[in-house]
Amino acid sequence: MSEAAIIAGSQEIVVDEVFPHTLDVVWKTLTSPAMMSRWIRMEPTGFKPIVGTRFTYQTTPAGEWDGVIRCQVLEVTPNQRLAYAWKGGHEGNVGYGSRLDTVVTFVLSAVEAGTRLRLVHSGFVLPRNETAFKVMSEGWKSVAQRIDALASEQD
Amino acid sequence: MRTLADPTRRAVFERVVRSSEISVGELTRGSGVTQGAISQHLKSLKQAGLVAERPEGRNVYYRVKPEGLAPLVDWMDHYAVFWPDRFADLRTLLQEIDP
Repeated sequence: MSEAAIIAGSQEIVVDEVFPHTLDVVWKTLTSPAMMSRWIRMEPTGFKPIVGTRFTYQTTPAGEWDGVIRCQVLEVTPNQRLAYAWKGGHEGNVGYGSRLDTVVTFVLSAVEAGTRLRLVHSGFVLPRNETAFKVMSEGWKSVAQRIDALASEQD
Repeated sequence: MRTLADPTRRAVFERVVRSSEISVGELTRGSGVTQGAISQHLKSLKQAGLVAERPEGRNVYYRVKPEGLAPLVDWMDHYAVFWPDRFADLRTLLQEIDP
């Protein structure tokens, strides 16, 4: 059913699927604010498919971050390509809610079965500072403890 | 302490985290242990709320549950789950507006 191929390299996430609909129908779901909010599950405030337009999505806040994803339209080629900056987070956070400076790109192409839609979310920087490393290590400890507790219960 | 000393289970979990979504077969290849052993580790990880499974045809795919390990999850892990879920919603939306 789904032609999903999910590839998570060190820097980007790619989701590539074929939808049995025409290019213009799929394009509409990517560029009409009413449609975008229905599948992205966040309402885009101020979006227009015009290069340079700034808009926002509101998501779950974390620590000192207000949960606002700040976007700016970078590329618009109707029925072919849409890219926008996707920024958020705060220096004071680690993991979810940490500084985020990424780009989301949608590439559409016509295929026999309809439209192939490829999403590339790029620009991720893996945590490498000392604080992040420490938190990750603490996280591992708690995970290991939970697994250990569970294994004991099963014995 | 036995489980803490189990490098295989930890290796399985690390691979699920890094892959964002992976099948039992993929996890078994190159692991040096049997598919049955991998399945047992996955069962424990699932019961601990650390991974979620998604059956598709004859395969079962595993991915991390972000809410199960908040301190470990970075943005990439978050969006590696977010976007496939959103694509599933997009498929549903398209069916509705263009049956």
